[in-house]
Amino acid sequence: MADLDEDALLTSAPTADEIDLSEETQDFRFLSAFGTNEVKIPKRGEKDFEQHGTNLQSDTLAASRQAMHNALSFQRVHQPKGYTMATYHPESNMAYSYNPKGPLFARMGQVLSALEDPLGNDERRGQRLWLLPEELIYLLERGTIDVRWPVSEDDEDDRALPMSVQAAYAMCIGGTLTLERHIVYSSLKRAGYIVLRSADFNGSGPSPGTECYPPLPDRTWRGLHHGRDGCLLQPALYRSYADIYSRLALVQFHDPTTQRPQPSNLPVTIPTDLHQPLSSISVTYNIWKPGTTMFKKSSPGTPDFRIAVVNARETKVPSLQQLSSLMEAVPYEPPKQDAQLYQKLKHGYKNVILAIVDQGVVSYLRLADAAFGRERLYGSKSPRPGFKHGGSRKRGQKRR
Amino acid sequence: MANSDAPTVSEPFPIFELANRYLLYDVNTITYIRAKYNIPGVLIGGLPQAPQQNVFSGIPLELMPEEARLLCEKGVAYVVDDARAHKQGFLDRGLSVEERKRFAESLRKQGQAAASKVKEKAEDKKQTALRQIASGGDWNDLPEDMLKPPSRPTSRAANKKKAGRPPLETGGLDEDESLFASPMNSFPKPAPTSGSRVNPPAPSRGLEPHTVTPTTSYPPLTAAPPPLQSSLSTSRHYSLGVDNSAASARLPEAPSSYPLYKDLHEKGYFILPGIRFGCKYMAYPGDTLRFHSHFLCNSKEWDEEFDMLDLVAGGRLATSVKKGWLMGGMERPSKGGAGLNKPKVRSFTIEWGGM
Repeated sequence: MADLDEDALLTSAPTADEIDLSEETQDFRFLSAFGTNEVKIPKRGEKDFEQHGTNLQSDTLAASRQAMHNALSFQRVHQPKGYTMATYHPESNMAYSYNPKGPLFARMGQVLSALEDPLGNDERRGQRLWLLPEELIYLLERGTIDVRWPVSEDDEDDRALPMSVQAAYAMCIGGTLTLERHIVYSSLKRAGYIVLRSADFNGSGPSPGTECYPPLPDRTWRGLHHGRDGCLLQPALYRSYADIYSRLALVQFHDPTTQRPQPSNLPVTIPTDLHQPLSSISVTYNIWKPGTTMFKKSSPGTPDFRIAVVNARETKVPSLQQLSSLMEAVPYEPPKQDAQLYQKLKHGYKNVILAIVDQGVVSYLRLADAAFGRERLYGSKSPRPGFKHGGSRKRGQKRR
Repeated sequence: MANSDAPTVSEPFPIFELANRYLLYDVNTITYIRAKYNIPGVLIGGLPQAPQQNVFSGIPLELMPEEARLLCEKGVAYVVDDARAHKQGFLDRGLSVEERKRFAESLRKQGQAAASKVKEKAEDKKQTALRQIASGGDWNDLPEDMLKPPSRPTSRAANKKKAGRPPLETGGLDEDESLFASPMNSFPKPAPTSGSRVNPPAPSRGLEPHTVTPTTSYPPLTAAPPPLQSSLSTSRHYSLGVDNSAASARLPEAPSSYPLYKDLHEKGYFILPGIRFGCKYMAYPGDTLRFHSHFLCNSKEWDEEFDMLDLVAGGRLATSVKKGWLMGGMERPSKGGAGLNKPKVRSFTIEWGGM
């Protein structure tokens, strides 16, 4: 059995679907495959194992470097058509634009209320779209908007200087928007997701509400089966194995459907926090899938995923305490009851995606509050759904 | 742009620090340190020419603190507090009127060049299309959609005025744009509808420049290396626009694995962060554009104890992805002759035997 495993590890080549191209440094010579019309993803460039001192190799490398250099020297030019200008507002560290055009703005930016708008409630407030720092960087870097510094008296005829990509990073990164958070934000945006800040973005948001807990159960059936006299199975007439198995299920398990807020525990947990000051992990962004057509900025609805951004170099493996408090803040979302077994376990009753950033490289990891105890393997009619595919995957967690 | 094989950069060059992260924005510097110092860094930005993908990334380039420190130790780079430099330069009016003007002027020139380039391209397309027709001769051969202006419904109005033109400019919109460019820093006004008959191609001199978003802020900002550590007095001033205090002689703080990083780098390896394989660094035998990595590297203290299981797990993982699991650290300095011989870094590779 062990030998089989090893062979599988060593010989099984990944299929085309499994290859994630963004996992590796790519050969920029293949960038040209991204034409304006073609949505074809380039083939994985062949790499060499080691240097063998041939001209062919050094020429290929020089060509790759040159291709990379050319790709990176791209100049962001704004065509007058569809030109969108925004102005940076240093006090709020945001930028505003009047009536920006383009499909991107249907899912980004916000018009602020009279109280919140940093420029006050003037007559143009309704047309003024405010962009958060990460939105500013993303749009500017994408070449979509032209952001200007605030006009100063030194500028001739009211033309403020444009903000460079560097300036956008320099001004906007810092405070609650760490570079790691921005990297995750922009890579998700590039992948097409709709990304909004969560309530916990600026530290801890509102304490978990009722939506974070399962509805009150009807728990009448529990505990009825066990006889008190130490005998697990009373001699009796049993008509199915299910009866017997259910009586044998004695081991306590973590049941996410019965978690309740425990205010009585609060005094106990606070001292341990003081004793062991852990930075808490909280949900950073709410994410909707690319194809969400009904999305509205004003009422975004329930997100498809929640992401917590973690810096790999500054964070240890989260403790149970950190994980519990993270899970506590996530709404209760039981899996569909008719879903396949492994689907249900993977989805869990609550789940969060951790985005772990190590110096610019992101790894996504799903944490789910799975309930193995609730999935009964006995008595199910179909012969273990999904069994064939389940072996190679870690239950409840999936690495992307 | 970008025609030389290896752009040269005058040393020392600035590395821009933002809240303890080290970034580079200048494409020449990025190519230069890759070719000269074997430092790849990680590109974290998007590419504006291919904005909806994550396979290829763009500027800025994030350097690990180790990389930034190595460059600073070599004396070829220095760290600039970028947020501060920008605040001083742009918000606190550190830039003189003269510098602002010069910058605006250079941007205008770039925009002009871009505009005329766009126009040239459009002209080119038109010429080839015309030639095709001249040789093919049959107008009926043109595909139906070529006759329609390739535009979204919103620009219908703008297209009407082109009715007088030969209807074969698929690239005609670009030209249109450059002709009716709105002045810089104003909202796009609708093109004048009155005299909008076929405009004779204007000479490129008269083109309205396109607006350009520069990649770096240097210029207009100027960075100068910090004064040597001996003269750390804050009173030293340069006549340049940015107050020099944004640059500092301080070395970036690197983690305890720095000796291992430095040692591997000295041996000629390219190093990338190792999160993809759950290690500290990945070591490549050459440029990461061309080669697969050889080692998954972990740094340990000399007498640090660790689980045998880590070794098994690491060894198996690395072997299954055809790499070696490398472990290394600095030797403890010998007690007797301190300073005689520098402590060495030693490293070991582990491969799963699979007997």
